[in-house]
Amino acid sequence: MFKEPSRGKVLPLLGTSVIFLSDFLNAEVVDVKQHRVGRVQDLIVLMTDPFPKVTGVILKGTRVRSIDWSLVRSWDNKELSLKVEGSQLQPHQRMEAELWLSRQVLDKQIVDMDGRRVVRVNDLQLSQVDGNLLLVGVDIGARGLMRRVGLEGLGRRVAAMLGLDWPHKLISWEAVDPVKSDVSSVKLRIAHTKLAGMHPADIAEIVHELSPDDRSAVFAALDDEKAADTLEEIQETGMQASILERLDVERASDILEAMKPDEAADLLADMPKERAQLLLQKMEEDEAEDVEELLAYREDTAGGLMTTGYVAVLHTLTAAQAIDRLRELEPDAESVYYVYVIDEEEHLLGVLSLRDLIVAKPDTRIRDFMIEKVMSVPVDASIRDVGAVIAKYNLLAVPVVDQHNRIQGIVTVDDVMDRVLPPRVAARRRRIF
Amino acid sequence: MARLGKLEQPLRFVRSRRGRLLVLISVVGPGVITGVTDDDATGVTGYALAGSQFGYDLLWVLVVTSICLWPIMEMVARMGVVTGKGLSDLMRERFGVAPTLWAMLLLFIANAATTVAEFTGIAAAAQLLFPFAGDTARYVAVPIAAVLVWVLVLRGNFRIVERVLLVLSLVFVAYAISAFMAHPPWGQVIRQTFIPTFHANTGFILIFISVIGTTITPWMSFFQQSNVADKGLHPADLGYERADTAIGIFMTQIIAFFIIVACGATIFAHHVAVNPSDPSAFSKIALSLAPLAGQYATLLFALGLMNASLMAASVLPLTTTYAITEAFGLERGIDKSFREAPAFLTIYTTLIVLGAAIAMFPGAPLALITNLPNIVNGLLLPLLLPLLLLLANDRRILGRYANGLFTNVLSGAVFVFLTGVTVVFLASIFFPGLFGS
Repeated sequence: MFKEPSRGKVLPLLGTSVIFLSDFLNAEVVDVKQHRVGRVQDLIVLMTDPFPKVTGVILKGTRVRSIDWSLVRSWDNKELSLKVEGSQLQPHQRMEAELWLSRQVLDKQIVDMDGRRVVRVNDLQLSQVDGNLLLVGVDIGARGLMRRVGLEGLGRRVAAMLGLDWPHKLISWEAVDPVKSDVSSVKLRIAHTKLAGMHPADIAEIVHELSPDDRSAVFAALDDEKAADTLEEIQETGMQASILERLDVERASDILEAMKPDEAADLLADMPKERAQLLLQKMEEDEAEDVEELLAYREDTAGGLMTTGYVAVLHTLTAAQAIDRLRELEPDAESVYYVYVIDEEEHLLGVLSLRDLIVAKPDTRIRDFMIEKVMSVPVDASIRDVGAVIAKYNLLAVPVVDQHNRIQGIVTVDDVMDRVLPPRVAARRRRIF
Repeated sequence: MARLGKLEQPLRFVRSRRGRLLVLISVVGPGVITGVTDDDATGVTGYALAGSQFGYDLLWVLVVTSICLWPIMEMVARMGVVTGKGLSDLMRERFGVAPTLWAMLLLFIANAATTVAEFTGIAAAAQLLFPFAGDTARYVAVPIAAVLVWVLVLRGNFRIVERVLLVLSLVFVAYAISAFMAHPPWGQVIRQTFIPTFHANTGFILIFISVIGTTITPWMSFFQQSNVADKGLHPADLGYERADTAIGIFMTQIIAFFIIVACGATIFAHHVAVNPSDPSAFSKIALSLAPLAGQYATLLFALGLMNASLMAASVLPLTTTYAITEAFGLERGIDKSFREAPAFLTIYTTLIVLGAAIAMFPGAPLALITNLPNIVNGLLLPLLLPLLLLLANDRRILGRYANGLFTNVLSGAVFVFLTGVTVVFLASIFFPGLFGS
């Protein structure tokens, strides 16, 4: 389905030594006189670009909980030697933009950009550059797992016996970016810039695999348009609602405004009443009204399925005026193919195609060349009936009218397809857990 | 854009499209599903053996297991609602690779054993349904069931399969009716439900442990939490989810209660000896439905057993596979091809093939095999509970939804109780003479 990312290549930054976080964890710490002072519990990095720098060590079994990395003289063979005596240790000054690698990064989930999937941080790769220890990569492979349980050597011997290559599966830290989330301290995610460049359907697929808080963190990182498109791609309204519920109200209402009115209405209908009301109040008046109208219809009828994003023009206009009107309206792609002609009371009189409008002489009245026999469906028509009409007449969209033949909205072929096709085909991804 | 008439009707919000009741059912779901699935092949066997061999003497254990179940299931439900993550997901993030690896290994073994038991339940049901076919019945039924489960779950729709089996679980009502028709001494039944009876002999202790083991299982915690997390509930829904959990526990136990009473009032009352290693054990147990179904008792019993086994056989391998792949960050999902998610499909298929193959082993003592996992699960629990407690007390994970004092005290008591039971059990194995026979 997706291109396999290039795996197992050693990062160019590395020299010959491959160092992993797991080598440090629980390592013995000795002071300058070779006295044992404690063990390593965690490493602290400062979030510098492009690679975070190790700035401190969290110790266990010592008086001082954390020390500066500058106090470390050397590191070798599961032992960390300090430059000073154990009694002289000074605590590390906490700084903003610091991460505890073991507590906040190791074992957490991470989105693998190339593979477009969610994986786990099995280990972290460090590298010595100009006297600094830098965090350069994330190990997501089985080899990292084996190393964590102390079986990497065994695995390597088995692989060698079988004559197999046993590569590390590493992602460069450059492709990784921590995203702050309200609830949990840090979530590891892909870079925002890369996220924004992805197709909404791909983002939706990744979002499916994340926990609710992580989902909202991803959405917080997207702009309104992208967030709206992605939300529309997620087809389970329950999940859509839970994502919006975890964003703040301002932001959630902005995203709703950017969504198609019918999708926004479906989503709001699935939320608790108070929350939906609040979001509607925060939305721009125009968009809110569209959505409110749609909310009044039963979901399984033309009214519930329709969108108010259609183009209608008055029958008294000329072709040129109608085209000007279109420019003003800036309709969405899905609604531009049909231009509906209405009278002052919004009764549906006819329909024009975009082509009709363009080839007509500019000063012709549109009611003189519109197609008067326009197919429409009543607001309470069933989805099946709407689908039948669309299929029979090969329409891209069909107008929905009330009992007085006043246009209320349109149902597009896409919307019907999603509902008429069996769920197995319509759903992008099926989730159980 | 054309602006149309203003809205006149009041807003029809609040999940109106599904209606209030459906909201309740969709929220009140995971706990009930877990609860009913808990009465699987091992459950039916364990409770039936308890009632057949010891009458009403073990009814009080149901009250005890209910008290044990509550804090466990409430904790995992709460973690599912608040974090939206599965249990193995949290274990990995909190405890790292090595402890998670051990936990997953034990879970795999326990669940593989239980899966074997579910397929054995299918085998037993098939032999009861087609007694004239002899062993051929299970050689045909078990592979069909294995393929059916594999295909329905991976290529069909698991949620629909689950709901259909859930509705079919109404067959358990037969035990309630049968229990009433057998006119048990209700005074004694009620008294024994609340006043403990204990016999210090190995047979009783084995059944005692297996009733606890079949009711409180490690897989339930994983299944319940994933199921809850999958619902995408908001912490505000926690009240619903607790109600759901309580209802689920009640359903597990009320079914167990009537199975024990039905067996006690029939098989035990008529002094029919049931030995789990005896091939005819199941057909004797089936007699417990005779007051209701007469000559069709065997048929009714077989259908109930078949349904319970199928339901658990589709849940267990899936839950296990999800837990393991989740813990190690492996690609997962029921709609993936083998190339996309090799580990997921390998583990899932292995569990089903293994379960089915062992269940078809010639001359296997079916009732014994279905009872064995209860003992394994019962032994595993004291290991799982401390991990659950550490997670549920972690404020970095649960924030203000972390455990309160009440849950901790109750869980502590449950831990002491379950550990005590395990010690007694191990003692009874290593020192067979300790409790007499």
